[in-house]
Amino acid sequence: MKRDLTKIRNIGISAHIDSGKTTLTERILFYTKRIHAIHEVKGKDGVGATMDSMELEKERGITIASAATYCEWQQHEVNIIDTPGHVDFTIEVERSLRVLDGAVLVLCSVGGVQSQSITVDQQMKRYRVPCIAFINKCDRSGANPARVIEQLRGKLGHNAVPLQMPIGLESNFQGVVDLIDMKAVYFDGPHGEVIRYEDIPASLRSEAERQREELIDQASAFSDELTDAILEERKITREMIITALRSGTLKRQITPVVMGSAYKNKGVQKLLDTVTELLPCPAEVENSALNLDEHEAPVVLSSNDHDPVVALAFKLEDGPYGQLTYIRVYQGTIAKGSTIVNIRSGKKIKVGRLVRMHADQMEDIDVIPAGYIGALFGVECSSGDTFVSPGLNLAMTSMYVPEPVISLAIVPKDNKAQINMSKALSRFTKEDPTFKCHVDGETNETIIAGMGELHLDVYVERMRREYGAEVTTGNPRVAYRETITQRADFNYIHKKQTGGAGQYGRIAGYIEPTSDGEFIFENSITGGAIPTQYIPACEKGFRQSLAKGPKLEFPITGIKVVINDGAYHPVDSSDMAFQAAARGAFRDAYLRARPVVHEPIMKVVIESPTEFQGPVMALLNQRRGMIVGAQDEGTMCVVEAQVPLAEMFGFSTVLRSATQGKAQFTMEFALYRQVPTGIAEKIAEEIAARKKNAA
Amino acid sequence: MLKKDLILRNPLRQMGYEHEDIIPEGGFGAVLARAGVGKTALLVQFALDTMLRGKRVLHVSLLDPVNKVDLWYRELLGRLAAQYQVGQIRTVWEEILPLRFIMTFKVEGFSVPRLRERMNDLMEQGIFHPDMIILDGLIFDEKSLPVLVELKKMVAGMAMRAWFTVHIHRQVRVDVDGKPEPLLPADDLFNVALLLVTEGNEMHIRDLKSDQNSSPRPVLILDPATMLIKQTAAVAF
Repeated sequence: MKRDLTKIRNIGISAHIDSGKTTLTERILFYTKRIHAIHEVKGKDGVGATMDSMELEKERGITIASAATYCEWQQHEVNIIDTPGHVDFTIEVERSLRVLDGAVLVLCSVGGVQSQSITVDQQMKRYRVPCIAFINKCDRSGANPARVIEQLRGKLGHNAVPLQMPIGLESNFQGVVDLIDMKAVYFDGPHGEVIRYEDIPASLRSEAERQREELIDQASAFSDELTDAILEERKITREMIITALRSGTLKRQITPVVMGSAYKNKGVQKLLDTVTELLPCPAEVENSALNLDEHEAPVVLSSNDHDPVVALAFKLEDGPYGQLTYIRVYQGTIAKGSTIVNIRSGKKIKVGRLVRMHADQMEDIDVIPAGYIGALFGVECSSGDTFVSPGLNLAMTSMYVPEPVISLAIVPKDNKAQINMSKALSRFTKEDPTFKCHVDGETNETIIAGMGELHLDVYVERMRREYGAEVTTGNPRVAYRETITQRADFNYIHKKQTGGAGQYGRIAGYIEPTSDGEFIFENSITGGAIPTQYIPACEKGFRQSLAKGPKLEFPITGIKVVINDGAYHPVDSSDMAFQAAARGAFRDAYLRARPVVHEPIMKVVIESPTEFQGPVMALLNQRRGMIVGAQDEGTMCVVEAQVPLAEMFGFSTVLRSATQGKAQFTMEFALYRQVPTGIAEKIAEEIAARKKNAA
Repeated sequence: MLKKDLILRNPLRQMGYEHEDIIPEGGFGAVLARAGVGKTALLVQFALDTMLRGKRVLHVSLLDPVNKVDLWYRELLGRLAAQYQVGQIRTVWEEILPLRFIMTFKVEGFSVPRLRERMNDLMEQGIFHPDMIILDGLIFDEKSLPVLVELKKMVAGMAMRAWFTVHIHRQVRVDVDGKPEPLLPADDLFNVALLLVTEGNEMHIRDLKSDQNSSPRPVLILDPATMLIKQTAAVAF
């Protein structure tokens, strides 16, 4: 394995669904000679693109899991993480961005900056990932790279600097003009593998010169040498421009834009050149970990091979040979036979087989040095775990994991399915922190929970296909919550005298709503009305009450409990007695605190041709949606709304039929909001009916 | 109670206009200023005041995307609440949010028939019926008079009020009454025109045109730090 860190690029390819990123990755692997044939997503040859390693992804034509792969280009080693485009799998995208040093934002030259591109861009900003933009599908009817560049500036606020301009567009798309070298570049051969440089066509010459001047002007802000050369009218070299552009890109103050058509095999090699020239190597990115010995104070990691190991497991996959753990090493070197510690579990692990992945094929390696991405075999861990050398107590920054908003009951068909289902669930919950499962104590059903309908659908499908677990699913259930809207006092005595030792505890105080969802417990007791040793029991009693609200049995959030008085009995008081008193006090006060039900509200963004704007808004309105705004984009419009999740089931089918299949939407959790009274009554009826059935 | 606090403490109440909406039904109002002085901020405060009084506002922007316009509202409501120490602003926000609809167009894609079509989509389906419309970013030049006349008809027909931002340049010419050139051809259409001017470190809000008799009223300024309207002790005539 080569060890020149400056020649390493860890990149991600992120984009809106159907922007062609899987096709692009496939072409990259072809040109870098990692594969020797090209397959399309949903290919007629029935093979599917190489990065879509899961059978299900091949069938649906979407990328679900981020398969990591590596390739070589111009003496550089490029590790690519293919990321999912659907919002339901956003945690995958975020996890990928955490381990990347740079990214390629793929944009469709027809669709431009779409809603998912905006979400992905926000994520990139959060993790400060420098990026370059690739405007794909320049061969499509309606292609307009100039408009996409404008959108990059206007919608995403990027300082987009085109490094190329197209030669022809739509069906006449022939190649690109390289504005740095001032050459026309054509891609010949059956798969565009032969690059031909020519003079710029006369008709494009003046426009190319104007754009080059603009490019140099933008780049000069990041290089004194380039500025001096301009002022002194010296020759401007390629190196000067590249150095300046690189400096701007690394600071995220410039987004270089290249273009082409991956499907038509045009422009991909130039994109690879841009990746190696302008995106950072691992040493140029500052990574930090949390020092657990010093109250999680951040520690900057060195990216030095010889320092103690710090690595992050960012992806798990269950293969035919056991669990495969994708890791990124930030500091030190993980070598075969060395010992590392999983910080979460404290377990020491002797490193066995190390591999480098190319989608679902693998290559054995001996070491994974700092800055590299590789995979460990047979290591028991969860996604997001940190591995370190023995003696270190560092953890990589924990990632924000949103709470699930939707759940589904699943019932295995037979005993075999039951066993396989358990195996699958155990794997999935480890792979994906947003996917959770539990057994309902009352109905004894297994409940799976996640971030959206499609998210759960995919896992149910994977259970069937990968684990042979046939399951039937119930109706999706929304994760409602209860909370209170006003303060209510309590003064409750728990007294039981039924022979033997009695139980006695009195608790007084009040409950009130809080603005954030957290539970706050405050002890304002003075004078020892309740002895200190019973206070934790009081808190425990209140916490137990939060699991299931007395109103509709949903979890309770946003409550502050203050206890300010009470009484005890020297013989009959106990932890049990005060826990029971707390539960009684809560029940008593809760119903007087005007409890309400909250439901998850989703941010829904619909992109549709303008002529369907009316029907789209009507659909949202029918679903209790609140339309925040409508953005007119010429032939297309973007409608943004907040819609209760409960109303969004089956929305994709309805939207398709209302817009002749021309609209698409994305959805992500936004906030919890109070359910209107009429709906709350309906929910109460449904729950009562469900309980009756269960009984 | 919280909403009432915010309404009562709003310095707009002190401006001395007869209507709480400043302009009558079917009327036009304009805020004139140079770029970056705070035209949008001022109009968003008018809009927030209207929403707090339970009326609906359609914000049409030819400049910014929906998210950016939304941010103006969130920021300014947050700052208003902080200035008057009103708590639980999230509840207020949730309550007034359904009273606002943002529509954005590209300058070149905007036309009155197109706006009317969009508004009909909203009103006929009972989704949103605005009481006030804000048009931010409309270009005022010699060609804009027919557009404004058409808009006037639409606004009157839909029983709304309309506010416009008018961008003026540093070297803009003014008539004898001090009205800047961009507004002159359409002057008759406007009931109220406010000019935002920089005076030292402050931005003063001046009446260029008003329906009212010229009675003394407090000078309002736009605080450059918060972009909120505040009142000074001085009195303008």
